[in-house]
Amino acid sequence: MEREELAPHVSEIARVLKGKIEESEIWKELDTYLNHYRVSLETAKRGIVKKFGGDPGALTKGVRKPIQQLALNEQSVDILAKVVTVNPKDIEVEGKSKSILYGILGDESGTIPYTAWDADRFPLQKGEVVLIRNAYTKEWGGQPQVNLGSRASVEPQPADSVKLPEGAPRAFPDIGEVKISQLRENMGGVTVTARVLGIEKREVEVSGEKRIVFSGAMADETGKVQFSAWYDFDLKRNDLVTVRGAYVKSWRGIPQLNFGERSQVMRPGIKFPSSSELAEAKARSIGDMEKVGGGVDVLVRGTVVEVRKGSGLIFRCPECNRVVQKNACRIHGNVQALPDLRIKAVVDDGFATMTAVMNRRMTESIMGTTLDDSLRLAKEAMNPDVILERIDERLFAQPIEVTGNVTSDEYGLMMIVSDAKISTPEVRGEATTLLTRLEGSS
Amino acid sequence: MITREVAWRVFAAEFNSSSMEIKGEEERAPSYIITPLGAMVNRLFVVGVMTDIENTGTTEEPLWRGRISDPTGTFYISAGQYQPEAAMAMSKIKPPAFIAVVGKGRTYSPEEGTMYVSIRPERIAVVDEKIRDHWVLETCKSTLERISAVEDVLEMESPSVEELVKLGHRRMLAEGVMKGLPHYQGMELERYRTMVVDCLKYLIPEYRIEAGVPEKVAEAPEEIEDDDKEDVDNEEKILGIIDKLDKKGKGAPWDDIVEEANKSGINKGELEELTNSLLDKGLIYEPVLGKMKRI
Repeated sequence: MEREELAPHVSEIARVLKGKIEESEIWKELDTYLNHYRVSLETAKRGIVKKFGGDPGALTKGVRKPIQQLALNEQSVDILAKVVTVNPKDIEVEGKSKSILYGILGDESGTIPYTAWDADRFPLQKGEVVLIRNAYTKEWGGQPQVNLGSRASVEPQPADSVKLPEGAPRAFPDIGEVKISQLRENMGGVTVTARVLGIEKREVEVSGEKRIVFSGAMADETGKVQFSAWYDFDLKRNDLVTVRGAYVKSWRGIPQLNFGERSQVMRPGIKFPSSSELAEAKARSIGDMEKVGGGVDVLVRGTVVEVRKGSGLIFRCPECNRVVQKNACRIHGNVQALPDLRIKAVVDDGFATMTAVMNRRMTESIMGTTLDDSLRLAKEAMNPDVILERIDERLFAQPIEVTGNVTSDEYGLMMIVSDAKISTPEVRGEATTLLTRLEGSS
Repeated sequence: MITREVAWRVFAAEFNSSSMEIKGEEERAPSYIITPLGAMVNRLFVVGVMTDIENTGTTEEPLWRGRISDPTGTFYISAGQYQPEAAMAMSKIKPPAFIAVVGKGRTYSPEEGTMYVSIRPERIAVVDEKIRDHWVLETCKSTLERISAVEDVLEMESPSVEELVKLGHRRMLAEGVMKGLPHYQGMELERYRTMVVDCLKYLIPEYRIEAGVPEKVAEAPEEIEDDDKEDVDNEEKILGIIDKLDKKGKGAPWDDIVEEANKSGINKGELEELTNSLLDKGLIYEPVLGKMKRI
């Protein structure tokens, strides 16, 4: 191995040994291990660190990879990247508040979201170039995400060691014709054919300037999308349109279609489902939702694998609607709290998972118990938790069908449920179909 | 991103054949059991029949162990003091019973090269036969998807996660299959395909009658087929009688069943055969001596 190639390994050993021995000494040691004992480089590094009382665990186990090549479950990987964005966030871990950072990393090969699980240990600055050691990745929406955990370290690097590609080629790739279910954030040059289900004219302020926007919802056979037209295309309810040159922005993960002066709107004379046919919620898988980030009025099937704490009979502050404990609101102090019902259920289809939130009306309908009934039951048991137990008994392990808007954030997917029912899947028929297909193909 | 691990649907036979684990070394990096078909199991959802349960710990520090049967084998579950809710729930279950479990995959390696897997339940509850059947169907579909991914990978000259994703496989599964490939080398695919076929048949009543009859129905003499059908009708009758007589949910008294059966033209000898068959099929059981109860 050339001296040049070994240099980074020597400095790494020096880093781990924290200056216990001279670099020249490390060169000699490394030469002995590699050329005399002929062990592998990894073994040599571990051996030297151990010999001088260092922690071999602190050595980089992973290799350095360009962002494009990161897999979904890297256990230990080094990344040389530019910090494109940094956002601070406070989270709660086991009851304690903790400051973390999240944002985007970029290198020549692409960009990737990251989370640094300790804002103090990893003081990342926007625009700086860093070498991140011992990071790991986790999957989100089928894409890897970089995590900086307890073993990670960050070393500042010269600003010119990473050059991001000119412009932002990945931000708005020209997509062409797509179905509504395929829309995802930052798509540009999109062509969509859909029927306008509703539209209204609004006045909004964009960077201090008043603008007119026509917003509403449109749908094709795959689903619905909210849109904003920044130019008066004279769109009306029930119009069938082909929009060319639109782009996609997300709101809480939900892809939304935008188009303006530079876009074209045509009115094709083709056969297309009617507004009433399109008004129905379309079935989508949870994995699909993960891929695109969310959606409006979608129907999702899965099994309830957990009824989360905080479901059942709850009490809210009459001022701010926050959930309160023992009639004491965090903001408004002692209040006459109002009772309410809700369910937070984890719906899982074996491939992906989502939280479904049901309000009082949904909870009453799926449980067949009113708020008054629930209050009475809780009073009889002298414990409001009995309502949670009842919900859990009714829903856990049940196949369920929920309809609503799906949003996403760093905690995953969440649906605000507008319709819910426990489904009764037709097992026998589907099994027969599947069996015929299998035996036919073998 | 603090996302929840998905609950995989995997049959006992596949889960128990797992001999590979990826350990998460980071504080938040999860561990995965890689199954022979490339499922990356951290959490799983299982429905089956709890056949056996015991407290192998003490009253103060209980350690509940149980076995859950699916059509392919047995899942082993255990819950101790660190899973108080699941342990409490397990202590109340009276086998046999249909059970749904959501839990984390656990491994135990007594020596190099051997690995046993089990489930540490997060939530466990008694369910009904419909939920079980639905789970078997879902797990068939999930298993077929994995079989197809392994088949695709075996046909590739230079297999990779990206190539699998291009063919339409989910990324998580593609990674699991690629991780498992050097270890399992796509072995026993045919066994798993046969297993799925058997599980599907398990869900279709026509095949359920066939079970236990060694020859194919078509080759058997016609009277036997008629007898079979009559038996099934009579079994339905007995189930109805047990339902009717089981007023307090503690089982129907045997003597009353005999009497009711007699009214329907089934004598005691026939009744005994019918109940034996129902016991074998796992549709009824004896909660206490002299009582019969629907599962």
